[in-house]
Amino acid sequence: MKDRAQGHLREKLNPELPASARVVVVGAGVIGCAIAREITRYTPDVVVLEKENDVACGASKANNAEVHSGIGEEVGTLKQKLNVRGNYMYDEFVAGLGVDFKRQGLLIVVTPRSVPPEVAEKMSPEQLDELLRVRIPEGIVAYGEAAGIKGLRVLSREEVLRREPNVTPEAVSGVFDPNYGLVCPYKLTIALAEHAVINGARVFLNTEVTGIRVEDGEVKGVITNRGEIAAPLVINAAGVFADEVAEMAGAGGFRIHPRKGATLLFDRQVTSEYVRSSVALFRMPGMKKERSKGGGAMPTVEGNLQLGPTAVEVEDKNDTSISAEEIEEIFERFHYLLPSFPREAVISAFSGVRAPTYEEDFVIEASDKVRGFVNVAGIQSPGLASAPAIVEMVMGFLHELGIPREPRPDFDPVRPATPRFAELDDRERDALIRKDPRWGNIVCRCEYVTEAEVLAAIHSLIPATDMDGVKRRTRTGMGRCQGGFCGHRVAAILARELGIPITEVTKSGGPSPLYLGETKDFLCSERVGHG
Amino acid sequence: MAKVRKPDLVVIGAGPAGLGAALAAREAGLRDVMLIERDVELGGILPQCIHDGFGSIVFGETLTGPQYAQRFIDRVEKADMDIKLNTMVLDLRPDRSLTAVNSRDGILEIKPRAVVLAMGCRERTRHQVLIPGYRPAGVICAGAAQRDINIEGLMPGRRVVILGSGDIGLIMARRFTLEGAEVEGVYEIMDHPGGLTRNLVQCLHDYDIPLHLSHTVTFIHGRKRVEAVTVSRVDGNLKPMPGTERLVPCDTLVLSVGLIPENELSRRAGVVLDPATGGPVVDERMETSVEGIFACGNVMNVFDLVDYVTHTAEVAGRAAAEYVLRGVARKPEALRVRPGRNVRFVVPQLLRGYGGEVSFYFRVSRPERAVRARLVTGGIPLAAKRARMVRPPEMVRLRADPERLVEALSRGDLTVEVVPEDEGPERQG
Repeated sequence: MKDRAQGHLREKLNPELPASARVVVVGAGVIGCAIAREITRYTPDVVVLEKENDVACGASKANNAEVHSGIGEEVGTLKQKLNVRGNYMYDEFVAGLGVDFKRQGLLIVVTPRSVPPEVAEKMSPEQLDELLRVRIPEGIVAYGEAAGIKGLRVLSREEVLRREPNVTPEAVSGVFDPNYGLVCPYKLTIALAEHAVINGARVFLNTEVTGIRVEDGEVKGVITNRGEIAAPLVINAAGVFADEVAEMAGAGGFRIHPRKGATLLFDRQVTSEYVRSSVALFRMPGMKKERSKGGGAMPTVEGNLQLGPTAVEVEDKNDTSISAEEIEEIFERFHYLLPSFPREAVISAFSGVRAPTYEEDFVIEASDKVRGFVNVAGIQSPGLASAPAIVEMVMGFLHELGIPREPRPDFDPVRPATPRFAELDDRERDALIRKDPRWGNIVCRCEYVTEAEVLAAIHSLIPATDMDGVKRRTRTGMGRCQGGFCGHRVAAILARELGIPITEVTKSGGPSPLYLGETKDFLCSERVGHG
Repeated sequence: MAKVRKPDLVVIGAGPAGLGAALAAREAGLRDVMLIERDVELGGILPQCIHDGFGSIVFGETLTGPQYAQRFIDRVEKADMDIKLNTMVLDLRPDRSLTAVNSRDGILEIKPRAVVLAMGCRERTRHQVLIPGYRPAGVICAGAAQRDINIEGLMPGRRVVILGSGDIGLIMARRFTLEGAEVEGVYEIMDHPGGLTRNLVQCLHDYDIPLHLSHTVTFIHGRKRVEAVTVSRVDGNLKPMPGTERLVPCDTLVLSVGLIPENELSRRAGVVLDPATGGPVVDERMETSVEGIFACGNVMNVFDLVDYVTHTAEVAGRAAAEYVLRGVARKPEALRVRPGRNVRFVVPQLLRGYGGEVSFYFRVSRPERAVRARLVTGGIPLAAKRARMVRPPEMVRLRADPERLVEALSRGDLTVEVVPEDEGPERQG
């Protein structure tokens, strides 16, 4: 029985590339997977190629998980339009995927620091008070409504502090935007990819695109490190590498300049009630340009407080490091907005790299240089929020390019999700354990993850094959101890299920082994060589 | 679901604290004791501590961790109690009822008459000390590395840098070396070592491993696996000094940057915690702010010696038994025991006056020579002890005479302080 499971897994891990496909999507981030899922509503013949060993390995795993409403974006940009529409579409977008989506709202706080000192200086105290208390919040609401954002509400100082008691007492007024939502970005990506697979798509991991075949101004296929796939339609959803993939096809014309964002994550045991909605400080346009377009304090869907992100231009598209300056900047920035946030409860810090173009807008186009090649590039924040609308726009092009307009009658609208032990009540937990005792074996003590959940992650449609893959699907190692207790247990289960020695288990694929040998392995002569 | 169980006592955790408490309770006459352990075996962290030095106070000889644990495990196994391994307590409520889970019983509802908290502690991680850099494989806490090597037989690294000179860090420096790995050095942010003197000598000096005081790791390099770390000297405010960076190639960074009492369940039960220790506020019977819930060992504060853990466990176990058997009601009045000069914290924090000898455990804030540690109330010392040297890593135990403590009850709160030896009115043993 176990052998058979391993056989299936091996097959699943090393599938042969097909010779051809109707559509090839390059990049298995949230955008690539969302597009692939949508295509399967009309045709199952879609292939997703990803150079990493899992989906959601780029920006999709390291953003702040917010589904913005569009209120921060410049009116008239594609970004703003797609964001407002995407937010509106979100409930339908996630329906059937088995991922949590919560509209927790955004509280924009207005304080004396919302106005540049040189502006404040020229005003009488009454004028300044009028500005902060009335004109700014009403201005924000008017601006938002003009952009199509519904339900914005001006809050008094008392209402602000009642809603979020941890916000600075200097708050003068605020605006509440109920549209803001939270979704776990990598779980969403995994769910979209699996939903696509359920409906016929094939996802190939560890498959790097090295060239695009173009003949007579028409795309013919994709060349990879593992062979070639012929295809009349290619979608470039390669994130920070989208400019390079576009150049391969001769369909470029834009440049991605990577911009890093770092976020601090806090222990949810301490912070689950710290803020209810996302919270941001309002700053008047034209004020000393913040390095990030905003950033804020927000809970995750799981209840951890997160602060950030920063915005730092970097040379290297793979620069996911965090600098001491960034950590300091986050602490400094939020100390004012949330004077009492629990600094000592940081459990993790991570960075992602955004993919802005110099125009700072999305590039979503059916290439006019290469027929059949579609760019979905420059997708930075609010890309996660805009995803449903981006997909809708891309489908418009694809229907023009020959994808049927009639949905398939056999499209399965539901992607079954593994239950989360931590979220069940005791009766449900007990029932699961009666059926399979591995539901009673807690592997991760901080996050209450059971062996059954780890097994489900490893044997899922997009198998988790390393520690980070299991972590993203189950939350093992995401708690206070950061894997100190459960690391070796998860590694042992991975080794057993994948049929490999534990010394071959990796953190994140490639050369990232957890263990460099067994005891006594280094006690041989070669150590002399080290001097 | 299975029916509700109602033992006399539930002990949560079967490390040295839990084992000691369960035994003491059983020996004090409690019949129905349940010992719950989330790991696969008894002993807690001791089975992975294969170095020696355990038991010099309790047994008058130095044992390895497994030996020390085995002495208790043998007695526990003979003591006829309900031992639940592979069982995790999910919830503990203020009425002392708890929910646990394992794969055999499913969800267990338990309503004991008393509870002893003995969950121990966990390690501070890289992010809690905010080390900048990448997040590759090869960054590991010292205790986890110890487990990998000593229990799993796996080497988490070959060229190792150790951050933090706490005891586990020092012991692992030697352990890695003995396994043929190369330890480049131990870096300590403070200007004094964090571990016991004997470990500095036996684990670093004896193996020529350099200790760099006033240094810290300021960047972790390597995207997939650690490739190097940057180390920097720190100034008097522990801030890295620009210009002092040095790149140290390595494949592994081992962190020994502190331990945190594991009190998630205590919090759920509404137990009041002491910010100075990170553990419950207890009285001299180790009873927490929630009546019938006791605490012992590293869940209270992190001890340097397992012998002290055992002592607190025996106090807690006996007190829990007494509470159940004789329904000893808690005395409502309590004196506070406050940390005074050069004392960071004291446990127990409260004295209610049940009688009997009381041991106070405390740590100093800074190293000091030729001192006298004393417990005073209203300017009058109740207990005192001379010490040639006190250091923050080494806990001090001060035993106070029962009669004098009773006397003290009328005089008001107590203070534990460390003063230069030539100060103070009287000399005492």
